Amino acid sequence: MAYTTDKGAVKMTGAPAGRGSSVAPAGRMPTGVSGLDDLIDGGLPSGAITVVIGGAGTGKTTFALQLLATDSDAQPGILVAFEECADRLIANTSGFVWGGDALPRSVHVIDAQLSQSVENGGEFDLVGFLAVLHAKAKKIGAQRVVFDGIDVLLDCLGNAALARRELFRLRDWVYQSGLTAILTAKAADAHAAPQAEYAFLQFLADCVVTLHHRTVGGRALRFLQVSKYRGAAHSANEIALAITRMGLEVAANTAGERCFTVSNERVSTGVPRLDAMLSGGYHRGSSVLITGAPGTAKTSLAAAFAEAAAIRGERMVYVSFDEAPQQIVRNAASIGVQLASHVASGMLRIHSLRARSESPEAHIARIRALLDEEGTRNLVIDPLSAMTQAGSETEAEDAAIQLFDLAKGAGVTVVSTSLLGNLTPFLEHLRFRVSTIADTWMHVSYEIRAGERNRSLTVVKSRGTAHSNQVRELILSEAGIALADVYSVDGEVLMGTLRWEKENNARRLREAAHQSAVLRQRKAELALSGIRSQLDALTREQSIQEEELSQLRAETTLEVEHRTGEDLELLQRRHADDAVSGPPLDTHGGSST
Amino acid sequence: MSLRLRLYVAGGSPNSVAALANLRSALQLVAEPPAELEIIDVVDDPERGASDGILMTPMLVRFEPLPERRVLGNLRDRSVLLSALGLEERHE
Repeated sequence: MAYTTDKGAVKMTGAPAGRGSSVAPAGRMPTGVSGLDDLIDGGLPSGAITVVIGGAGTGKTTFALQLLATDSDAQPGILVAFEECADRLIANTSGFVWGGDALPRSVHVIDAQLSQSVENGGEFDLVGFLAVLHAKAKKIGAQRVVFDGIDVLLDCLGNAALARRELFRLRDWVYQSGLTAILTAKAADAHAAPQAEYAFLQFLADCVVTLHHRTVGGRALRFLQVSKYRGAAHSANEIALAITRMGLEVAANTAGERCFTVSNERVSTGVPRLDAMLSGGYHRGSSVLITGAPGTAKTSLAAAFAEAAAIRGERMVYVSFDEAPQQIVRNAASIGVQLASHVASGMLRIHSLRARSESPEAHIARIRALLDEEGTRNLVIDPLSAMTQAGSETEAEDAAIQLFDLAKGAGVTVVSTSLLGNLTPFLEHLRFRVSTIADTWMHVSYEIRAGERNRSLTVVKSRGTAHSNQVRELILSEAGIALADVYSVDGEVLMGTLRWEKENNARRLREAAHQSAVLRQRKAELALSGIRSQLDALTREQSIQEEELSQLRAETTLEVEHRTGEDLELLQRRHADDAVSGPPLDTHGGSST
Repeated sequence: MSLRLRLYVAGGSPNSVAALANLRSALQLVAEPPAELEIIDVVDDPERGASDGILMTPMLVRFEPLPERRVLGNLRDRSVLLSALGLEERHE
């Protein structure tokens, strides 16, 4: 059933005069979520019941605790924790300025977990519970009470009819006591607006807020939606939220802009050739994910990044799971990455955390606190997959997304590693959605061919970077980490010895080609010089012939003159007629030579 | 072996009344040694419920013999109740 705005309702006057002011209109309770109250009619209805529904990791508990922490001196509050123990619940908020140890004393958290050790001995009810709660509320002057994880309690009640009966009892108690109540309930699907679930809870409530998150264009976005608000005109639009150090905030309004300022600055990966592949290195403030099977040098790449940062004179926080600092330093030294001096100088802080000891959220909070403490701009999480072991898959993903958002918000470049098998990148992508959220995703794998195992590195994606799409061979040696070109032969990539052989072959071929060229050149030169000498000979012959020719010509002319003289003489002797011979006779030319 | 029990109830709510009745009838099965039973009404004494960490009622706590056991509900399920009291049903 869809809830729409109650048409006849008198709308409470809109936003308070001062933006962000804690003064709510009468009958409204500010949520403490910056920017939200203006959008939801000044806050949640006070003296009424609001149900907050959302999937795992959508921020229900954060929302509730943030509300209690807001203006808590004037309005003390109680959170009844049905799902998690109080200590852990508080610890999970330690990354927020209002959470953890900073949670105001006037916010009381009551453990109400129905632990496994309690046996089920039939029907029970909330009569005693509400009596105890009432006394507590009275004692501390509570104005607000949160029932966190009401779904857990409802499940324990056994059946739907009993659940309804007790919910009515709870509602009556809230109204009688004049408290403002928030009930949070877990939806099965974190990614969709859970309209269909908890129909009865939604019916009972005066206000229904749903929280969900989904990935849009590779970015995880959180949304809040007010699907019901009795007696108030409200927008049922989705409101985008962000999680920052302030807790939940309306994304459009906040820190969002400041947080995600993009930088064109590049920071070195610590491997020169990799910097070249990425057009200069990682983007400052971006998130990098290095995936690969065990032993593919993910940690080595992370260590190289750490060393490069320390050399630049920037502080670096290296969070390692299940590996001791000394171990990391020693292993890095074996491949020429020297961390020891940076650890000693305090530029590099290595923190080893136990992967399974805490929930992903608690890890996030720890890391958030570390970033604050160290004031760093560089972070390594090695491996990210270990951090997310302790939760469900969705929680793990969510935690990873939060971590990236957190780092991005603080302008911190985060390099994280993740253990993945040697699957095709596409399958890996399905297995770990985080890869779509990271700005740069590099995959390191083993190629086994001809009895050798060689490491190869691919930049699967790198946002805003003209990156090389070529596979490179990753070579670790005492001299450091290097990348080498790989040969592609018939669509296959050659590395290691095969590459060496191929390189050798290529060199030999080049040499042979060179030699044959030299040979051909010489031949050509020879031929040319042959032609030249032939040309010479011919030229000489030509001039000889020309000389001879001119001599012959001269001789011929003399002979003719001579003969003419002779003829004349003959004619004279015979007294021949003039007309007998053709040419006019030169009377003077008769002299003989 | 002696039984030391405490039942947290909430005034005259039906489940609390039923729990007390079911507990008493089960205890009648055991003549020896007599059980020590304390009844705490958290509606009358909510501070006590809070300080004992008991929020839901009716709740039966068996302190002795150890280990401590807690059963939530109106104790209508006889086998759960007897087992919690450390007694077995006759046919077993």
